Amino acid sequence: MLSRVADALYWMSRYVERAEDITRILTVNFHSLLDAPVEAAEAAWQPIIAITGDEERYRQCYQEYNARNVSEFLLWNPHNPNAVTTCISLARENARSVREQISSEMWENLNRLYFLVRDLDRDEARRSGPYEFFDQIRYGSWAFQGITAETMTHGDGYEFIQLGKMMERSDKTIRTLDVKYAAVNQLTEGPEASLQLIVLLRSCSAFEAFRKTGASVLQSGRVAQFLLLDQEFPRAVGFCLNRALRSINSISGIAGSDAVRQPHQLNNPQRQIGRICADLDYLNIEEILDHRMHPFLDGLLLRINLVGDDITRTFFNTQVILPGRSQQPAQQQQQ
Amino acid sequence: MNQQADKRPWLLENSYEIGDFFDEMFAGDSNPHRHYEPIYEQLRDLSRESFEERRRQADIAFLYQGITFTVYNKEDEGIERIFPFDLIPRIIPHQEWDFLERGLTQRVTALNLFLHDIYHEQRIIREGLIPPELIFGAKHFRREMIGIHPPRNVYAHIVGSDLVRDRNGEYLVLEDNLRSPSGVSYMLENRQAMKRTFPNLFQKYEVRPNEHYPQELLATLRSVAPHDMPDPTVVLLTPGIYNSAYFEHTFLARQMGIEIVEGRDLVVHDNHVYTRTTRGLKPVDVIYRRIDDEFIDPLSFNHDSMLGVSGLLNAYRAGNVTLANAIGTGVADDKAVYAFVPEIIRFYLSEEPILQNVPTYLAMRDEDRKYILDHLDSLVVKSVNESGGYGMLVGTQSTQAERDRFRELIRIAPRNFIAQPTVSLSRHPTYQDGELYGCHVDLRPYILCGEEVRIVPGGLTRVALRKGSLVVNSSQGGGSKDTWVLGK
Repeated sequence: MLSRVADALYWMSRYVERAEDITRILTVNFHSLLDAPVEAAEAAWQPIIAITGDEERYRQCYQEYNARNVSEFLLWNPHNPNAVTTCISLARENARSVREQISSEMWENLNRLYFLVRDLDRDEARRSGPYEFFDQIRYGSWAFQGITAETMTHGDGYEFIQLGKMMERSDKTIRTLDVKYAAVNQLTEGPEASLQLIVLLRSCSAFEAFRKTGASVLQSGRVAQFLLLDQEFPRAVGFCLNRALRSINSISGIAGSDAVRQPHQLNNPQRQIGRICADLDYLNIEEILDHRMHPFLDGLLLRINLVGDDITRTFFNTQVILPGRSQQPAQQQQQ
Repeated sequence: MNQQADKRPWLLENSYEIGDFFDEMFAGDSNPHRHYEPIYEQLRDLSRESFEERRRQADIAFLYQGITFTVYNKEDEGIERIFPFDLIPRIIPHQEWDFLERGLTQRVTALNLFLHDIYHEQRIIREGLIPPELIFGAKHFRREMIGIHPPRNVYAHIVGSDLVRDRNGEYLVLEDNLRSPSGVSYMLENRQAMKRTFPNLFQKYEVRPNEHYPQELLATLRSVAPHDMPDPTVVLLTPGIYNSAYFEHTFLARQMGIEIVEGRDLVVHDNHVYTRTTRGLKPVDVIYRRIDDEFIDPLSFNHDSMLGVSGLLNAYRAGNVTLANAIGTGVADDKAVYAFVPEIIRFYLSEEPILQNVPTYLAMRDEDRKYILDHLDSLVVKSVNESGGYGMLVGTQSTQAERDRFRELIRIAPRNFIAQPTVSLSRHPTYQDGELYGCHVDLRPYILCGEEVRIVPGGLTRVALRKGSLVVNSSQGGGSKDTWVLGK
């Protein structure tokens, strides 16, 4: 498949996922802060921006952290390239450039989501609370994924869409875990710590799934283990990266077991993401608890970002490499 | 006329006027030409409601399928519009089509010989039939093409010649389009729409199919691959999603089952062209390009072009890739060169032209220029470099200020202007806003030249929808009709 087309599909999918993730994190916090004391608000909203990694940009726009500013920044501030509205527009722009490669249903759905976001009455949303808007975006994203699975040929293009989604999702789960885990760790065990763990799980739609694993106690180590290593929950990092590897193998034309048998034929994304998966598979969670969590997650995030660069170099920037010249460009779109 | 009122179909109740034009449907008063009789009867028996309903369905189908084009103006970034479609088909009897087919084949064959000549020996100039300044001063003459041998010596693989009919019903060639004529997707979609809307009518006529155009196009493109290779890779090169004909590009690529690529998808290495794919570089042999010469290779032409492919011209010169159409074909559809096409036919084929030109005055000739300047109010003046109905002065509908502007333009650059008498284009009954009236029409058949010349029966009939308007271009408020060539 054409590199340009693969690139657009991959980023279309990442942007939709990003919009959904940011929306979900916002929703959960809105909810949890309804019964929190006012002075706690500042402390509660600041980490949300930390999750998106846009703190510097936020401080350029706003003085203080509160519900109104943070939601505005994350939803539609034009100076925030990761704002939900921007993500949806960029997803649509990418889809538009490969309009003929995706199904009409996918295009129609994304188009509808775009107009919904664009035409939203912002004053009304501020007055009546943004729940309905949040819901529409999340349902829009789910519908998009369902429609994609049911109306598009499951070929290379589909795998690039899956890959983009999984890369973005693993990134967001790690960031959420990083920020929230640190917050919980500052608290002594008690109702407040449990509350924070629930918020963390809900931010990843993982509360019920976690409960079903039989974990009777809400304990930070257990939660971290679940969000990092679970192989069955679709937002757990382990699940995401394994799925991403499956897509990369399929795109590369070398299926799973063959890949292990012919290591010399592996491309960089396969190697790198395979190594991360193996590291997670053999990880002892005790080794990374408490103060070791942040450095570990930081390192993991960095490695996943490097995989992103490898994907770009291997699949999107196909070019003639003349002897004596090194490859340069990496991810072109907004990380 | 009043005695016949009860026999008139409701469509004609507002007394359809033939006027001082050749009417495609009616011979006189309300008597249809013989080949229009079945459709006339059908329309007569159809209620207004039923007709309106079918029309509505056709419009919706076009909208849903995204059969649109984009109009650009100065303030706007571009508006997407449906190309208006008229439900009453234009019908061409088979002997008329045979004549057109012979005429077009002759014309396109001669034009390809002409292109080969001016990019090689230039016999036609040396023998004094065409003044050198006309060729070398043409905007689309490309000296980079001199000495290049395109496969099978074909330069213009896809040609759209615009035909009109004068007051006597005689077909004339208004202009040839040898660069990248567009509109063929409308020809195909119009037929689909008609089949859905009036399935019964097709049973009363033996309409020759046109659905195989994409296959014919692919066969043509494959037949001109470099080195006669048996299984060439063909791609369609588009300027991208913002191009007004992007819909057509994707449509044709899908129908042919070939990849649609943008300039940035292609890379030239060692004089070979490749597409960048997720599994590395894949060689390309034939490029059906819908990008103008100026933008196709920033190394050779417009250096600022983001649309083209660096090094493409070199790969082409090396004979490793075929461009359809070739670079530099525009010199043969230059409106001043057009005036010489009858001479060109006689020169290369030693035959008399089957299809006639519209009489044309060249402003570069002293006596012609004098005539043009004296008759600005009755002639149609055209800039030789513009297309799409831009850069035109329709004398009979012009203001004094417009005439003065053109007078000045012609004085400054006579090479750039030609003039033609106003042709009373034939009209065809067209249904608009609840009434039927005669609209001027033209016909653009699509001629394919590869191993052989192929013309899919019919073409695109464009309609000047605005009452009294002579301009049929889609960007100037034109619409289109399905065009039926009859098998017997």
